This record gives sequence, structure tokens and C-alpha cells, in this order.
Amino acid sequence: MQEFSFGQLSFLAGELVLALSVGELLLIGIFVSKYGASIVRYASIAVLLIFAFSGFILNGTGSAFNGAFISDDFSHYVKALIGVTAAITLWFSRDWLKRENLDQYEYSILMIFAVLGMGIMVSSGNLLTMYVGLEMQALALYVMAAFNRDSLRASEAGLKYFVLGALSSGMLLYGMSLIYGFTGTLSFAQIAIVLSGQESVNMGIVAGLVFMLAGLAFKISAAPFHMWTPDVYEGAPTPVTAFFAGAPKLAALALITRLITGPFGEISQSWVQVLVVLAVMSMIIGAFGALMQTNIKRLMGYSSIANMGYALVALAAGGIAGVSGMLIFMSIYLVTVVGVFAAIMQMRTRDGALEGIADLAGLSKSNLPLSLVMTALMFSLAGIPFFMGFFGKWFALTPAFEAGLTWLVVVALLASVVGAFYYLRIIKTIWFDDQAHTFVKAPRSLTLISSASALLLFPILLLPFVTAPARALIEAAAASLF
Amino acid sequence: MFVEMLPAIAFYILAATAVGMAFMVIASRNPVHSVVFLIGTFLASAGLFVLMGAEFLALLLIMVYVGAVAVLFMFVVMMLDVDFVEMKQGFLQYLPIGGVVACILLAEMILVGAASLVNPGAGVKFAEDGTSNIEAIGNVLYTEYAFFFEAVGLILLLAMVGAIVLTLRKRDGVKTQNISEQIARTREGGVELVDIKPGEGIGS
Amino acid sequence: MIELFGMEWPWLLWKLVQILLFVIVLLVGLAFLLLMDRKVWAAVQLRRGPNVVGPFGLLQSFADFLKFVFKELIIPAGSDKVLFILAPIITLVTAFGVWAVVPAAPGWVISNLNLGVLYILAISSLGVYGIIIGGWASNSKYPFLGALRSTAQMISYEVSIGFILITVLLLVGSLNLTEIVNAQAGGFWNWHALMLDFGDPKSLILFPVMFYMFVLFCISALAETNRPPFDLPEAESELVAGYQVEYSSTAYLLFMIGEYLNIVLMCAMLTVMFLGGWHAPLDVKLSFMPQIPPFFWFAGKVVFMFFLFAMVKAIVPRYRYDQLMRLGWKVFLPSSLVAIVIVSTYVMMFGRTAVGLAGGG
Repeated sequence: MQEFSFGQLSFLAGELVLALSVGELLLIGIFVSKYGASIVRYASIAVLLIFAFSGFILNGTGSAFNGAFISDDFSHYVKALIGVTAAITLWFSRDWLKRENLDQYEYSILMIFAVLGMGIMVSSGNLLTMYVGLEMQALALYVMAAFNRDSLRASEAGLKYFVLGALSSGMLLYGMSLIYGFTGTLSFAQIAIVLSGQESVNMGIVAGLVFMLAGLAFKISAAPFHMWTPDVYEGAPTPVTAFFAGAPKLAALALITRLITGPFGEISQSWVQVLVVLAVMSMIIGAFGALMQTNIKRLMGYSSIANMGYALVALAAGGIAGVSGMLIFMSIYLVTVVGVFAAIMQMRTRDGALEGIADLAGLSKSNLPLSLVMTALMFSLAGIPFFMGFFGKWFALTPAFEAGLTWLVVVALLASVVGAFYYLRIIKTIWFDDQAHTFVKAPRSLTLISSASALLLFPILLLPFVTAPARALIEAAAASLF
Repeated sequence: MFVEMLPAIAFYILAATAVGMAFMVIASRNPVHSVVFLIGTFLASAGLFVLMGAEFLALLLIMVYVGAVAVLFMFVVMMLDVDFVEMKQGFLQYLPIGGVVACILLAEMILVGAASLVNPGAGVKFAEDGTSNIEAIGNVLYTEYAFFFEAVGLILLLAMVGAIVLTLRKRDGVKTQNISEQIARTREGGVELVDIKPGEGIGS
Repeated sequence: MIELFGMEWPWLLWKLVQILLFVIVLLVGLAFLLLMDRKVWAAVQLRRGPNVVGPFGLLQSFADFLKFVFKELIIPAGSDKVLFILAPIITLVTAFGVWAVVPAAPGWVISNLNLGVLYILAISSLGVYGIIIGGWASNSKYPFLGALRSTAQMISYEVSIGFILITVLLLVGSLNLTEIVNAQAGGFWNWHALMLDFGDPKSLILFPVMFYMFVLFCISALAETNRPPFDLPEAESELVAGYQVEYSSTAYLLFMIGEYLNIVLMCAMLTVMFLGGWHAPLDVKLSFMPQIPPFFWFAGKVVFMFFLFAMVKAIVPRYRYDQLMRLGWKVFLPSSLVAIVIVSTYVMMFGRTAVGLAGGG
């Protein structure tokens, strides 16, 4: 047994900051009545940014609590992405919440809790840590989905998410109990040792692994566990959906990555097929499900199902190339999706927020900057060459091609061709249809975020400044797992 | 002879009760009866825990699940005005899915059971030096598992925040009692003596 | 517990005899405590109280008992018959079951469990079911409202009772009730209610905290047992008789016995936890006086606490429901939490206070 020392706490400094500040911010929120919500929001943004960069600043690699909590380059990189995304989402949700009369300090608190849970997930080195982090994250997200409690759709979204999430947790726990039963340990490192000593893989362990992957597939909304996604995306408040689309997916993917590289790295034959099936079904269902959608939030739900499929293709390839491909793809996806939702939140007339695709008709005539931003974002999501989205898919699919999963790459390409259709349909609606609405002037935070995100998608602008260092970070992160 | 068999007899009685009650939970028509049977299941399982020598867990099960969770559960079920007969209509419709889940669970249990037959050594471990249950749990809970303990505490805080966010409604015009204010009242602030002249009233 | 069954047959018989003895002593004692309750109440209101049956009305409780038993048991037509009958039985059985671990004198305990305190908390928390099931099964509005009130009340106060007990457990370092009693041997300054040792300045930290805990426990015990001033579940001016409205005859009697047994149990808990159990207040043995057996000290303390409870019932007006909840959640819970912090800090710094005389007495 590893001795405890306070030095180990530096590995979870970011999480400690979050956990401690949650208490303080709750008190501020309760006792400061007038500007409580604003103070808590800005403080939370600061705390989230501290969390995001604490890993890089302290740069400690090692594990605390007998290996239950791992801090390495992978966790630093993923946490930085999660923290920054959460901070940005929190920042631009202010205006939306105020208009919908939802501006309560608890929103920021729940966001911190969710990020804390994700941090624990990403760093988990033990089945218990993993479950605790996952539950914390999920519980906060359930509440956030139903945050607009007077809206029937939001309550339905929250309830649906909760019930299906509980089901997925149940499956995950079954899988974990099987793994624990057959290996006799909870620690990832110990499981890896036990498994590497066996000549043939026990059926119980395979069953446990499949259950665990199914439980996690729920969290990343990979088909066939995607049922909740469109409804929750549509029903939840838009800023919450923006958050759902990015950080939690990345955290759950990171967890899957940790599982398949760490404890189960030795038995890749038992999980590759599972990931391949999940990836193929997600890509197909995501692509074809989106075709008939009229609500843009629902459409983004299906789009995220498809995108999770591409990320799983990269993971199925395995190895450093696969993991770094997944990270590159997800980084670009996060940038895009934050921008898309910032753009969607600008769709607001005097009567309230709009969510229909038809409401975008003729946007180019009334709001040229927004239409340009939207067009760039949709081109990138569709994977049109020389937008970043293209490179994301390139890096996600190349490892699979090299690993010999050619047919999987073909399926992915076909799915993205189908996907391109509905992204292009939005662009067509924007530029060639008759004008439907005139949107009110959007707050600066939204225009800023959506334009920044759109600009980031032009590789020429950031090739030398961002891409190279980011590539180095991602390579280091992926390498740290092996 | 009989005395040696007592644990076995107790086990069979408790196990049969647990299974029977669990079946009645889903079979009984009245939801309140279901909860009562659920409580019976909990109690029987607590008895099984005692037989295994885990008396702390048994008492905790009774205290937490029977004494608090199931009470609130019953509370809610009693106050709900749902037509449960109508809700049961869909029972047959979902039977196949339920059957599949049940089969998977059964398969899992057989797997675990088979594994324990193959590898009989890996059973429940008892503390050998006579430390009581509660000492043994306390010794690891606050040292080896301190991180999880704290994290679970945070989850409970989160659950509390979430429940309040979703249910608390601040209404205007509700009169509440401020005890400290009430106690701090003095005679000067509360009573005014007015000298009223006869036949004039207070006037206004 | 397996070894428990491995013993010989006489052991089983002896336990059965013990249980029977406990039940009889409790029931007979209860009869007189009930009378005392009514007499005290009457005395405060300048009445005579029951004085017809037997000398000074001593046999009143037995007459009541016979009356209840011979009356007709009425089961309302719309009630849930099985649960309606089950409810009073649950109340009675749990009320008796708790007594299994209460030590009345050295060795006078049916089961000297290591987790005695936990057992008491666990089994007494089952008592709520008697009330809530009874209130629901009656299929009537007043009983249902009474049951809901009572459930919320009992659950709320169980929490603070648990926290208060933790302070005692921290000081003793054991959950065994006999050990808790023995930790308080030697004189009243070792009792947890009055940890005032003038020779030891450290006790000045502990005395106010523990005395406060004692008071909190007294009040929580009143609320937990639905005694006045917290008898909202059966407040006659609002709910007629709460969850007992539809009950008659033996069923009512069982409820009544269960309720009073719980009250006496709370007195016994106070005695064991805070007032030194069977230990005399001053540990002096005077040669010219016969030694009072430990059991009588225990019984005397229980009766004294019951007298206080009876006085409270007679003197204090009933709380309003929101005040009751406020008291439980906003006053008792935080202050007992603070007390836990103080006591555990004390234990970390100065060690436990337990005297730990082996055998005690």
C-alpha cells in the first residue's frame, strides 16, 4: 500500500480548487441576494479556467490514493479542454438565462459540479473513482437538463435523461461488479496485471467489459444507446445543450480511452468488435436520423451521435495514433460545436428564442455576419476540405485505415457524405430561401464566441501558431497512456 | 443436532422470505402493499447479512433503507393519485424486454456462481483478529477510501442542491415567523400607551 | 452470529425466560407509569386523577386494560384490513424489540450486542411504520394526516438523535450500551450529562456541550415519541386523535402500549447514555446503610425522567407544525453537528473520558 502524503494532493489540485470553491460559492449565492448570480458566475468562470490550466501549470504526473487518481499528460490535456469549454459555455449562457428568467446562481454551481465529476472521470485509475466521477457528472447534468423547470419539455428532457442515465449506470455497475468478481481488484493497474497473466480471457471479464462499454456508450450517446439524445438536446435549455454536446462527451470518451488502454489493453480482441459495432451504428443512425429533422437542436443531437461514431472509429484503431486521432477530432469538434450553439442562441426574435431550421431562411439578407459564421461552421461539420472539420475526420479515420479496418473507413466516408447533405441544406436555407424572421441584436458574448470559433476553423489562420503546439500536446497526451 | 442446524434453518427461512417478498413487490396490485413487501425484503436481507457476520451492514440497511428511504417512498406512494390498474396495462407489452433483462441478470448470477465453484478460495474474508465490523470498516473508510468518501459526500451535496433547484419555489406574500426577531421585541417596540379622552375615541 | 446458535439448548430456554421476564416487568411497570402520568397531569391541573379502582386508583391501568380487551374490535368497512391489523402489531413488536439491548443492571440484558446503539436506532426507526401504515389503512382523512405529520416529525428528529448519540459514542469509543454505562461509573461528574470535574479544567469545555446535548436529547425524545408538546400527529383540536381515530379495543391498546413503551425506552436511553445507567450518583459505600442494588438506580432514573416528561406534558403548550420542523432542522441539527466537531476535537486532543472500570457497579 502506497503511503499517503500531502504532496499527492497536488495531482488533484484542480479538483480540490473546484470542490472547495463550490462550498464558498454556494454560500455567496445564498447570502448575497442582489448580484449573487453574477458574482457566482464570474467567480465560477475563473475557477473553471484555473481548473483547466492547473494541470499544465503544476505539470505533476503520478497517482494519488493508491493509484485511484491518475494525473498525466492525457488528463491534463482533456481537463484543459473540458474546463475551457465549460467556462465559455457558462460565459455565453448569461444572456440567454436572463431572458428566460432563469438566471440563478445554482446554474454555475451545477456547472462546477459537472466539471468536477468529469475531472474525476478523466483521472480515474480505479473502478470506484470512475463510477463516483461519472455519477457526479451525470447528476449535475440531469438537474441542468431540467433547469427550466416550468417548461414541460425541459422537465421531460431531464426526466428522460435521468431514467436512461440511471439505467446506464446500472449496466456500468453490473459490468464493474463482474470485473471485480473475476479479477478480485478495483484498481486499473491491478486489473491489467491480472489480465496479462491469463492465457485465455475469461467469459465473465468479457461480459463485464461489454456491460461497462454499453454503460459508457450511453454517456457519449453512441447508437444503439442514443435514444435520449435528440429529446434531451431539444428539451434542455439551449446553453445547457451547448454544454452537453461538448465536455461530457469528451470526458466519457477519455474514460473509454483509459479503460481500453489501461486495464483492458491486453485483451484488445474483446473490445475492438464492440467499439466497431458502436461506431458503425452511431454513424449510420446519426446520418440518417438527422435527415428529416426540422428542429436545429434535434439535428445537432443526431449530428453528435454521428460524430461520436467517428471518434469511436479512431479508438477502435487503437494505439497512440488512434488515441491522438480521437483527441484531435474531439478538439476540433468541441471548437465547432461551441460555435454552432453560440450561433443557434443568436436566433431570437422579440417573441422569444427560435429553434426551427426553417427559421433560418433568408438569414443572409438580414444578418450577413451570422450567416457567414453559420456557413463556415456547417462546412466544417460536413467535413468539406480545407476546413478544420475535414482534418478532424482525416486524423480520426487514418489510424483505422492503417490498422486494416478499411471497410469501417468506407462506412464512415459514406455516412459523412449523407451527413453533408443536411449540413448543406442548412446553408441552402440561409442563403437561398425567402426571409422568414429578423433576429434581434445578439449580445456580444455570443457573436464573439461564434465568430472566434468560425475563424478557428480556417486552418490557414492558425496553422503555424496553434496547430503545431497543439499537435505536440496531443501526441504527448496520447503517448502518456502507453 | 438441531442447534447446529439453526443457522441453516434461519438461512432458508430468510432467503425464502426475501425471494417471496421480492416477488410480491411486483405481483401485488396495490402499490402500498408493494412497498410493504419491499420493506419485508429489506428486513429479510438484513437477516441474511447477520447470518454472514456483517451485522453492521445489516443494521445500516435497516436504518437507512427501511427506516428512512422506504418511509419516504411510502409517503410518496400513499399521496400519489395514480390509477395503477391502468399503469399495469402495459405490463404484457414490456414483458419481452423485461424477460431479456431478467435472463441477462440470471446469466450473470450463474457466471458468478460458477466462478465461485471453480475457485472456492475467493470467498468472503473475515477479520481474524477479532476486530468488530464497525472497527474494520472505520479503519479503511477514513484511510484507504478517504478520497471516495469525500467524493461521495460531494455527490450528496450536489443531490441536495439539485433537489432544491428543481423544487423550491420562492413565493411572494408568504408570512413566515422570524423567531429571533420575535424574541428581540421589547415592550417599547410592541406596546403603545395612548391616553384617550372620554367621548372622543382615538380619532384618525 | 453463527456461534450464537452453536450453544447448548439450555441457553435458548434461558433466553426465552429472560425475554418473558423483561416483557412482564415492562408491562407491569408500564401500568404504574401510566397511572403516574395521569396523576401528575391531574396534580398540575389541581385534580385528583384516577382514584376509584383499588387503593389510590392503583389498579386503574389494569381496569383499563380489561376494558380495552373486552370491547369490540371495529374495522372500518373501507379500510385495508390486513394492514389495519398489522399496524398496531408492528408498533408493539418494534417497541418491545428495542428493549433487547437495554442493560438494566450489570449483566441484566438479553443481548449484549456490540452495536447496541445502532440496533436501537435501527429498530426504533421501524416504529414509524406502525403509525404510517395504520394511518393509511384506516382510509380516513384525519388518520392519514396524522400519519403524514408523524412520519415527517419522527424522521426529522431521528437525525438529530443520531447526531447527539454520536457525541456520546465519541467519548466512550464503543457502541455497546453496557460499556457506555460503565464509562460513566464513579460518580455523577462522570455522567455524560454533567461532565463537570472541578479538578480538571478540561471538563469546562466538555460540560456545556454535553449538558446541551442532554437537553437536546430530552427534547428530541419528546418529539420522536409524539409526546406533548410535540403531539401534533394526534392533536385533538386539529386531528381528533390523529392516526388512532379509527382504532378501537385491543388494536388501540397495542398502539397505546407501544407508544408508552417507546417513551419509557427514551427515558431508559437518557439514563444509559447521559445519566450513568445503573451507577449511583456518589460512589460511597456507607457501612450502616444497605447498598441499593444497581437495578433500582436504573429504575429510579428512568422514573425520574418519566416524571419530567409527564410534567412537560402538563405544563408546555403544543408547538405549531412549522415551529416543530424549524426546531428540528434549523436548531437541533446544526447545533448537534457543531457539538460533534467540538467533542471529536476534544477526543483527538485529550483522549477519551471513559473511566472504563471493568464490571462497574
